[in-house]
Amino acid sequence: MSEPAGETKLEPKQASKEVKESENVAEKYSAMTVSKNSEVTMGELSSVFTAVPTHKPVKKQIQFVEDKQEFSRFPTKAGRRSLSRSISQSSTDSYSSAASYTDSSDDETSPRDKTQVNSKGSSDFCVKNIKQAEFGRREIEIAEQDMSALIALRKRAQGEKPLAGAKIVGCTHITAQTAVLIETLVALGAQCRWTACNIYSTQNEVAAALSESGVAVFAWKGESEDDFWWCIDRCINTEGWQPNMILDDGGDLTHWVYKKYPNVFKKIRGIVEESVTGVHRLYQLSKAGKLCVPAMNVNDSVTKQKFDNLYCCRESILDGLKRTTDVMFGGKQVIVCGYGEVGKGCCAALKALGAIVYVTEIDPICALQACMDGFRVVKLNEVIRQVDVIITCTGNKNVVTRDQLDRMKNGSIVCNMGHSNTEIDVASLRTPELTWERVRSQVDHVIWPDGKRVILLAEGRLLNLSCSTVPTFVLSITATTQALALIELYNAPEGRYKQDVYLLPKKMDEYVASLHLATFDAHLTELSDEQAKYLGLNKNGPFKPNYYRY
Amino acid sequence: MSVQVVAAKMAEVELKDGKNLAKNDPHEAGSSAAASPTAEPSVKAGESSPGLLTPNPVKMPQASAMKRPDPQQNGGEAFVNRDGTVAEAPRMKKIQFADQKQEFNKRPTKIGRRSLSRSISQSSTDSYSSAASYTDSSDDETSPRDKQQKNSKGNGDFCIKNIKQADFGRREIEIAEQEMPALMALRKRAQGEKPLAGAKVVGCTHITAQTAVLMETLSALGAQCRWAACNIYSTQNEVAAALAEGGFSVFAWKGESEDDFWWCIDRCVNLEGWQPNMILDDGGDLTHWIYKKYPNMFKKIKGIVEESVTGVHRLYQLSKAGKLCVPAMNVNDSVTKQKFDNLYCCRESILDGLKRTTDVMFGGKQVVVCGYGEVGKGCCAALKAMGSIVYVTEIDPICALQACMDGFRLVKLNEVIRQVDIVITCTGNKNVVVREYLDRMKNGCIVCNMGHSNTEIDVASLRTPELTWERVRSQVDHVIWPDGKRIVLLAEGRLLNLSCSTVPTFVLSITATTQALALIELYNAPEGRYKQDVYLLPKKMDEYVASLHLPTFDAHLTELTDEQAKYLGLNKNGPFKPNYYRYY
Repeated sequence: MSEPAGETKLEPKQASKEVKESENVAEKYSAMTVSKNSEVTMGELSSVFTAVPTHKPVKKQIQFVEDKQEFSRFPTKAGRRSLSRSISQSSTDSYSSAASYTDSSDDETSPRDKTQVNSKGSSDFCVKNIKQAEFGRREIEIAEQDMSALIALRKRAQGEKPLAGAKIVGCTHITAQTAVLIETLVALGAQCRWTACNIYSTQNEVAAALSESGVAVFAWKGESEDDFWWCIDRCINTEGWQPNMILDDGGDLTHWVYKKYPNVFKKIRGIVEESVTGVHRLYQLSKAGKLCVPAMNVNDSVTKQKFDNLYCCRESILDGLKRTTDVMFGGKQVIVCGYGEVGKGCCAALKALGAIVYVTEIDPICALQACMDGFRVVKLNEVIRQVDVIITCTGNKNVVTRDQLDRMKNGSIVCNMGHSNTEIDVASLRTPELTWERVRSQVDHVIWPDGKRVILLAEGRLLNLSCSTVPTFVLSITATTQALALIELYNAPEGRYKQDVYLLPKKMDEYVASLHLATFDAHLTELSDEQAKYLGLNKNGPFKPNYYRY
Repeated sequence: MSVQVVAAKMAEVELKDGKNLAKNDPHEAGSSAAASPTAEPSVKAGESSPGLLTPNPVKMPQASAMKRPDPQQNGGEAFVNRDGTVAEAPRMKKIQFADQKQEFNKRPTKIGRRSLSRSISQSSTDSYSSAASYTDSSDDETSPRDKQQKNSKGNGDFCIKNIKQADFGRREIEIAEQEMPALMALRKRAQGEKPLAGAKVVGCTHITAQTAVLMETLSALGAQCRWAACNIYSTQNEVAAALAEGGFSVFAWKGESEDDFWWCIDRCVNLEGWQPNMILDDGGDLTHWIYKKYPNMFKKIKGIVEESVTGVHRLYQLSKAGKLCVPAMNVNDSVTKQKFDNLYCCRESILDGLKRTTDVMFGGKQVVVCGYGEVGKGCCAALKAMGSIVYVTEIDPICALQACMDGFRLVKLNEVIRQVDIVITCTGNKNVVVREYLDRMKNGCIVCNMGHSNTEIDVASLRTPELTWERVRSQVDHVIWPDGKRIVLLAEGRLLNLSCSTVPTFVLSITATTQALALIELYNAPEGRYKQDVYLLPKKMDEYVASLHLPTFDAHLTELTDEQAKYLGLNKNGPFKPNYYRYY
């Protein structure tokens, strides 16, 4: 709303916004951001290999080195840099949940060297093994159960085929949930070509099932850097087929098209981008005047934000701590650093289990909210000696320092829900006098000379991503939002969207929410004509002004 | 008091309302909002992207008209909103005030027909329910206008009920000071630099002990103040006396007539050798008067601070018409104030209001809360904490999904109407509970309104011959059906939180601090920062209001280190959030 300094009025459009956002909303995202810094321009692939100059990428590298170990069958070369630029909670699902269970790691031939044909004789795809299609189909069917919103969308919009004629090229994680999205887009009339936004996250059998059903998919689990770009290129560069929509997660695809096929943009009606980083890159393009098509930022839609941060973290904090430490929460003293959306979710969950929760904050408004919600607002130093669990969700760096770690009591648990791996100064614990003992996956005991132990989870990386899962319901919110954004951009009358980055219209946001209400058997009340008139609203929404805070 | 004058004024008022009505078609409202700075950010999605399903251009202005404070979900009793409802609001208020009048029925009933209060912010309506003048000298029927009074320093530039009550008033003010530590801290912090030195503030608000603390704070910061009341009933006479004794030019007493009301305002403004340069308004009457009578005065005025929804709406209309010739600050929509007026205040007053009126026990009771905006969220949280089984009705799917995720069953009202023990409305809408539902409620069901004026429950439909009304205590009616079924109707469908509960001083402190900071900001802003438009309080000031209230909770705010601030790209002292940040 009106900021006195007039130039900030259009803030939602400004690139700077995304940067600021890292506080609460997006912090966790950026964890998965990998080298998603916009500074990493893609032409300089080399720079990708040399440690990227900004702090975030570097840390991410560390994180991915870990991931690599978990996927240790793959050549380590590719592992040095993660290709995922995706950072939204929901887009990172596949790290933690279902990996390819039919992973045929015995077959070491690169998919690029194989010629495969699906049952209809098409060979316009490149996946690990087309024979896994049946397994993949089962995965997709399971996912469909939990994604009733997309299925409802299929049914509601199938008659009118709002995407008839759309040629969508997509670059996202390729998982069963994405497959449901892709097949929904196809059911609505679109043609799709798809590639992966992350070299590890592809579920091979799902990719096979999609290929079998006629979607041109170029992705497999454990691609190399070179494979990654080759797949993207194969998606775009086809004789006689030019995309007119882009669905991106991380901005790699958009970047590739910009670099290699700028002419393709002449036909493109819009870009839908779901990740913080990708959105940030779009804002930078827009600022530089180089964005030549409309782009839709679905990351910041209200519904998606609420689920990615508040609701998801509210559950995963308990889940993550239980899985790793089997701690009992009742009566435990817990300090939550940061009272943004993530912090609010953590505090609510812990309070409900009877924990005594303290909060630290830097923002007086959020601090006042914490007070009014019944939490003691303290400085970390005041309670560090007495707390049993420390949870960081500030989006900041070095919130828990060595000095504080030194003063913690024996057996206290330290974990990070916020942002990358910057919040806990883990590096400071790598000193000779401290002994590290890995007691189980993702759990380290750090032992002081006097025998005091501090339990560090996920080495300071994101607990919710490393030690918990993202429910399909949350992914359903994201996928539905993406589908509606595509429909909106594709059907928008000439001139509604200029060459700029837009937020999803409030009405579509509301529609995403309404499609998910059925899951709760929730019955929405409808306005009578008289009431609608009284409120000056359309009976079908939008019901709130854009600045409404929910 | 001249009857003719009153009649003339009333005609003018009617005319004004009529004009509003005529003006308020969606198109105009829309363009106004689009022209105002507040509208800007939302224009992006509202106008450029009206949504797949709304290709109709007519709807777009409607959408942008909504950019104003949203009464439906957040207004304690916001009754001015988008489109045609503005004109309706004063009339509803009239009804409400007709009731108020009965409570204050020592006054001539003539003036009760039109309420002079256009204030609607939760915190600005405090005085209806809480401390009335306990030294009310109703035996003294001389109009203050006919009295000559002087304070102990020999100054007679004020007009109040009785200057001798000053001591009582001072005690009231001192009590209020205890609970308004933020203003006291502001006094201390800013006293050295006197940020309001040279400011001549003319104010029109409720005159209560809390306002007095605000005025004395402004004075301590260097301002000169002249004050009138924004409501003919709400003045605490002894507080006004204490202020007058302290050297403030106060023109207000409890139970003014319409004529008195405007006379007081006029006396505030119209003074030889003194011209105001700041306006602090609550309801827009003062601003309106200056526009009508002393338009030249605006040449010297640096800005208007307005706290009520209605006043803000009037400012937006002025701005739309291109008639706003000074910057105005909308403090009603500041984040901190909104949270306290709606969420936190209602979370407490729903329990308080129900307990005071009905002594109901909440545990295990089935309650349906209509609307899950800020007020609804507060009510639900409080009731759930008491062990009630809470159902929610909503029209907005996003809020509905929030209710689901917070663990409330989302239903339509008619699905649960037969089984619930309590019905609470907080939609901002009209006729949410209609006669048909009332007919189907079970015996002893409690019906009350937390939302909006008195429109949500269709009380008029209960005024039929077959139903018996029985007033069992103040604000509590039993409506009895022919078969003996009783419904417990609270406050005749008016706002429970205002009628049957109090507004804590802490909430008023938030508002007063916000007003003080807005005045400081406008007064000290460099040339050109604010144009002739309506602005929101800068985020940084909003955060400062919150920080001034943290000591109350012994809350210790963490400071960013230089390194951390750099990492986040923030200034160590704020603002910490972008303007669109939602705070939940």
